Order: sequence, then structure tokens, then C-alpha cells
Amino acid sequence: MKYLDLAMNAAERLGAEYADIRVQKTTDVVIYLQNLSLKNTSNEVLYGYGIRFFRDGAWGFAHSNVFSDEAVLKTVSRAAEIAALSASVNKDKKLRLAPERSYIAKYETPVKIDPRDVPMKEKVELMLEVNRTMLAFEGVKRAMFYLVMHRDDKFFGSTLGTRLELNTQWITPMITATAVYEGDSQSRSFNEGGKATGWEWIESLNLTEKAKQIAEEALIKVKAEPLGPEARRTLILDPVHLGLTMHESVGHATELDRVLGWEADYAGISFATPEKLKNYRYGSEIVNFVGDNTLNEGLATLGFDDDGVPGQKWHIIKDGILNEYGSTRDTAMEIGLEYSRGCNRATYYSDQPINRIPNLYLLPGTRELSPAELIADTEDGIYIQGQGSFSIDQHRVNFQFGGDFFWEIKNGKLFRPVKKVIYKSCNPEFWNSCDAICDERYWRPFGVINCGKGQPSQSARMTHGAATARFRNIRVGGSQ
Amino acid sequence: MNKQFEQIEKYIRSHCQADDYSLSISASDNHQTRFAQNGITQHIAGPRLDITLEVAFGQRTGSCSVNQDDEATLAYLVKTAEDIAKLNRPDPEYLPSTGAQTLPDVNNSDPSTRELEPAEMVEIVQQAIDKAKAYGATVSGMTEKHVYEYCLFTKNGFAGSDSLTQFGHSMTLKKENVETKVSHEAKDFASFSLEQEFGRLLSQAESLLTMKDFDACKIPVILRPGAIGELLLYMGWMMNRRQSDEGFTPYTGQLGQPFFGEKFSLRSTLKEPRLYARPFDHEGIVSREISWVENGILQNMPTNRHWAKEKNAQPQMLFNYFVPGGKASEEEMMKLVPRGLIINRFWYIRTVDAKAGEFTGMTRDGVLYFEDGKVKNAVNNLRFNEIPHDATRRILALGKQELPFLYAYIPTMLINNFNFVDKTTF
Repeated sequence: MKYLDLAMNAAERLGAEYADIRVQKTTDVVIYLQNLSLKNTSNEVLYGYGIRFFRDGAWGFAHSNVFSDEAVLKTVSRAAEIAALSASVNKDKKLRLAPERSYIAKYETPVKIDPRDVPMKEKVELMLEVNRTMLAFEGVKRAMFYLVMHRDDKFFGSTLGTRLELNTQWITPMITATAVYEGDSQSRSFNEGGKATGWEWIESLNLTEKAKQIAEEALIKVKAEPLGPEARRTLILDPVHLGLTMHESVGHATELDRVLGWEADYAGISFATPEKLKNYRYGSEIVNFVGDNTLNEGLATLGFDDDGVPGQKWHIIKDGILNEYGSTRDTAMEIGLEYSRGCNRATYYSDQPINRIPNLYLLPGTRELSPAELIADTEDGIYIQGQGSFSIDQHRVNFQFGGDFFWEIKNGKLFRPVKKVIYKSCNPEFWNSCDAICDERYWRPFGVINCGKGQPSQSARMTHGAATARFRNIRVGGSQ
Repeated sequence: MNKQFEQIEKYIRSHCQADDYSLSISASDNHQTRFAQNGITQHIAGPRLDITLEVAFGQRTGSCSVNQDDEATLAYLVKTAEDIAKLNRPDPEYLPSTGAQTLPDVNNSDPSTRELEPAEMVEIVQQAIDKAKAYGATVSGMTEKHVYEYCLFTKNGFAGSDSLTQFGHSMTLKKENVETKVSHEAKDFASFSLEQEFGRLLSQAESLLTMKDFDACKIPVILRPGAIGELLLYMGWMMNRRQSDEGFTPYTGQLGQPFFGEKFSLRSTLKEPRLYARPFDHEGIVSREISWVENGILQNMPTNRHWAKEKNAQPQMLFNYFVPGGKASEEEMMKLVPRGLIINRFWYIRTVDAKAGEFTGMTRDGVLYFEDGKVKNAVNNLRFNEIPHDATRRILALGKQELPFLYAYIPTMLINNFNFVDKTTF
């Protein structure tokens, strides 16, 4: 890619202490079917490049969609100019970059069946069949199938001499049935998030069978009794549900830019401040969170981040203690780290990379334990499957979650389905109340495809994972 | 009309073979300076372009979007959209594109914003940081300028364009445990005064110095426009005619009924010059003066073209939020109830129960407790679980309208018995 050398040589001539260019083509194929009507069948291509220029402790970032020598050079100049403007403000607060070596490498998401090779007709036929299956249930008034196939083709070059070719992709299917009954309406979804894999995943899911289950459960849910007033109860949470809980209460809380206050004006800060490293009890001793940008089929498994730092694996919480953060080259130096953990990512070519949650998962329990055994061992509790309402304060402490499907547990058995269930807790009360995690046989990933952060807002992706886990003495109940 | 848009439209008109098409083009030039903890952390500049073509062969539809306008890319755009449509299944809800319309005359563009230079923006950031340092605090925020152009063409003759300028400046001040925010958003840069905004920020910070613990309960609240605007946005998003007719929202069967409190009205208007009023939407539905809620009665709901045809109704979209206010000042509101809270902003609002229209969220950037008509102290942040349309039935007083967001011109509200259910430690 000739523009990489052109841009980096120009940046060096303009005095860059560091610069990089990311040439990126993003393709999103979206099919959205609702009640047998195709609401969206589209193909979106965004193609361009973004150039970062670092000098005197400040960044400038400029982007363009015009591919010519002249346009590339103009974009480098624009990045240099605004870096100089930023530096004029950063006189007392110069940013620094953690050391990094150069790489020449190529990474590609391993895919058996490329979704682009599957005919549109075949995809739509599958979606129609799934829609029809759900609508065949009396009381199901709305059937939705949302399918996205995403691909990034990226060239990255930096003044360190790094040259990368990164071709990554992911796919997500989501189906939802909404039932109406006696003045209420409730939805139930099959949503395992996204995976960095190919169409073979869709083929393995048997979505028509899943559609029957989802429709049946939507009807069970709408006819279920509301749980009623709030009380302290035991919670058993499935891996899909935990994917969202850990994202909000651990993932964002341990992004180093938030910890440093860089998100203070918008998404907020974090309670998990640096003096707590290596000594703060975030969770019980069985709680271990790993950041892992090498995870097989993980959405943040991209080979390298947008600082040109390779994917890594590390403990963020170890035996319940806050161990480390997810960092970038410019945040790492702020707390004296000698290296970045490779968490700097941009969504599109026109986005400046920001500190992002890595693939982050809860390690499974070390003794054999199944979800059925966990339920059998619970006298009085609520079992929550899937994701629902979610909200957390701007310090990432106090939160409230819903779910997608709920059972009341009595004397070790699923006693009755219930609805309108929410729970409230906070960091670290919640993670310290975790007293059991099922073993690795039950560990399942959940891929987040739409993690919103930043100004301008960017939508990033990462994978979480867990086995079903139990939490004691949590406030569970109705909302009013 | 923008020359670039005309050339793209000309190409599509002469090369698209589909029975029908809609072409939308948006272009923008953006400058965004993001600062935090008294330094600049991000600084972004660049243009953006989005070209979307939706085509139909009979009822078979396809869509493609690209961000470049060279001939090869436009050829790809047409071929991809047409190929998708040819391979697709017929859409039973398909409607032919909109024809020629008479569009309202709106002015969403301002020269003072257009002419704003990056160096001036950085100077604003520098001054904000200097003021924060002088106060012994840190400031984080964003200074941004956007110039947008948008157009929509259809094969059936619709042709419309709009241009918008936007200037924004936000500041979050942090000093020890005090954290508070102000933000300004407008079409015109000329209406911005850093002195005034920073003065407001300091005033808020000073009022938060004495903090006391406060337990969640049902209590009267004075919701400032930033807070009420965020709540109304979610409520408005749920006010959808089709979803209501199909039984999924609290508005089912409520058209024409006094479903809101009689002190509450909600309109979309082209007549308030400070509000952004897009002249048409992506379907070619033309914006017009419309009352959604009048003195508590639900009069209209946003309805897309397909559902309007099904229901023999007029298609209409909620294109901005105009909520008539009153004359009560915050001081007067405080005297109307024995005790209560003043809420600056909300955060992380999400649906709890879609059918009930219930939402949750947190307070943020300053909560003040008042008693006997006077502010006593600041309190910790709180979580609410509340039904906004129900809350409008508990409006006790309305203040004067402000512009917390470019699309919302709304008043401060005094609302009785707001449902707080949890608290946090800060």
C-alpha cells in the first residue's frame, strides 16, 4: 500500500515524534426481517484513512476518503496542524507514549464459510422460515430476525516501521418473538451476540428449532406472574446475562482512560483507581477476570490494536483482587506502566482510536459443577437467562439489571416462570457475593457488537464469557 | 443545491435501472477537540460523506451505502443495490417512493459557526482550562463544530435538501468530591459565551460543596431542562403509532384520550428559530406544525408511510421537541412543596418495562436538597424507576423554556413524587 510510506515519510518531515496511518475499508451487510417484511437489506461500505500525528505531548488526527497523493499529504498536514494546536494547550500536561517495537505482520480471522459466498436468497429463506415458525404460535404478534455480517480490511503503517495487514470479520444473528396477552406485551430473544467466525456458525445453530423455543418462552413470559416487591434473594445468572453484567461493571470500570478521567465529561470515570491496584478486593476469591485479545473467535481478536500493539492475555482481576487495567500506549505511561496492553481501537477509518475493553471473561470454576447442580443446591432464588434492561452510574459502582427470561427457584427446583424482574447491586458488593461458578464445560462466550463510547461516539466490539454463576443476598424484585 | 450532490443524483438518474429508487446523500465537515483533566486528549478533523441508494424492482428491495463519489464507486452502489433487490423476496409492506412535495422554508444554518476556525476553538479550550486551574479544579469536555448538508431524491420526483450548522461546548468540572457539568449546543456559535457558561459551572460547583447522605424515596423534584430533555427523548422514541396499535406500548388505545397530565403539551415546530427542524425525513415525510400532546390529550403519534396507509392516516414524524413552559422560577418552585430535590442531569436511561413505558436511570452532575423554599445542601446521586407519561400527571409547575439540545426547547418542571429507588455513595 503505497500511501502508508507516503504518509509516514511526510509525517517525519513535518517533525512527528510518532505518526501512524490506518487505511480501512469496512463492509456491513445487514438483513432485517420483521413479520415476513424485509425492513432492511443493505450493504454499506466505508473506505478511507485516518492519520495520527503525535508531537510535543499532543495528538492531531485527520481523516479523508479521497485516495490520491495530494489528498494524503494534505491530511498529514492537517493532522500536524491540529497536533500543534493541541500541544499549545498541553504545555503542562504532555502525553507520552509507552515504548513499542515495530512489526511486519498479517492477521486474518479464521473462517470456513465466508458469509459473502452464501447467496442472499439462501439467507433470506432461512430468515423467513424462522419468522414463520415464530408467527405460527398464537399470541406471538411480532417476529424479528436481525443478521449482520461485518468485515474490516485494514492496512496499518507507523513511523516505527510497523506495516500490518489485518482482515477481520464477524457475524451476528438475533431473533426475537414478542407476545401480547391480556394487556401486557413481552419479548424473548435468542441472542448469543457476535462471533469472529463464518457462516458455519449460523449453520450449527439450528435457528428454526431455536425459534420454536423462543416463541414458546415469549408466551410463557407474557402469561407469567410478576415477581413482586424487592427482597434479598439468591441469583443464578446464565453466561449470556453475565456477558452484559461484566461488560458494564468490570469492563468499563477497568479501562485505563476512564480511570484517568479522560471520559469524565461523557461516559464518566471509574471507582477502580490506581491506588487500588494489587490490593483492592473487587470480588470473592473465585472471581478471576482475564483480558485476552488472543481469544479464539473473540471479537477483539484482531492481531494488533490501532497503536500497532499485538494481542495479549493478562489478569484484570486475580483471585478477586484488582490486578491491572486495559491500557493503550498513551494511557499506560500515565500510571507508570512500561507497556501497553493493546486496547486502543477505532471503529471506522474516520475515528481516532480510544481505550477499549478487551475480550474480557470470567474464568470458570475449578471444581465440577453444572447449572442443574447449582439450581439443586439453591433453596430460594431467581434464575435469569439472557439480557434485558441495564443501567450503571458514571463511576461504575451502582447498577440495575433486568434479564430476558426468569424462573423462581424453590427448594432446589425451577418453581415457576416469573416476569418484571430487576435486581440492584453495586461494585464490589455484587462480585464479592459470588459463591459458585460452574465449570469449564458450561463456559460460553457472548460477543458485544455495539459497545458505545467516546465523542464522537464509536461502536466497538469485544467478547465476554462465563459459566453460569451464583450470587447471594442481592436485592431482587419489582421496580416501583 | 450542493454541486457534488447534483452530480451524484445525475449519475444515479441515468444509470439506475430499478423500477423505483430513493437516493439520500449527507456530507459533513467536522472539527472536534476533546479535552480532559486540563489537557487535550483527542483532536479530530475531517469530512464525511454518505450516499445511500434504496431501489425496488416491483416489491423486491435492496439498499447500498458508500462514502465515495467517483464513478467506479457509484457504479458499485447501483449494481449492489440492484443485485440485492433482484435476489430478494418481495416485501409485503413495500411502498413506492414519495413524489414531489412542497417543502417548508427552514433555516438551520448559521454563518458564525461556518466561519469558526480551529485556532479559535482551541483558544476556548485554553481559556476553560485556565479558569478551572484558577479555581483549583480540573475540567474535561468537548468543543465541536459541524457543518452538515443533506438531500433526498426519489425516482418519483421528490427533491429536497437541508443544511445545518452545529456548535457545541461542554465542560465537566471536578474539584475534590464535587463534579458538575454544563453544556451548550446551538446552530450558531455567536450565541455562545464562555464567561456565561463557566459562571454557571462555578455556581453549580459552589452549590454542591456541602454534601449529605440522602436515601431513595418518592419526593418532589425540580428537573432542569437537561434532565427532562433526556427523559422526554426516551418517551418520544416509544410514541410510535404502529407499535401502539399492535399492542407493544403504553399508548395502545389512547389516541384522543387524556393520557398525560393537563399541564403537559408536546409539539414539533418549524417556527422556533433556535430549534433544529429538519424539513423532511428519510421517507420524504414533510415536516409540519404538529401537536402530539395538547394539555394532556394524546392527539397524534409518529406514523410511517406504510402504517399511515394501513390506518388511512397522515404519515408524520417527531422532528423536534417543543414543550410549552410557564413562568415559575426555581425559587418559586421550591416554595410550592415542603421539600424536594433539584436535578441537573440524568444518565444511562434505559427501558425497564416497554409495555408500561417505564424507564430507569441515574442522576448526575449535581443533586440539591431543598426544604422550606431554600437549598439546604447537596446530596448523593440516586436511581429512579419512573414512567414519564405518568410523571407528567404530577407536574406542579413549569419554568421557562431553554435549549438543552439542538432538537429540544423545553422548560424546567416541578414534578411531585418522583420515584427514586436506590442511591449511590457519591
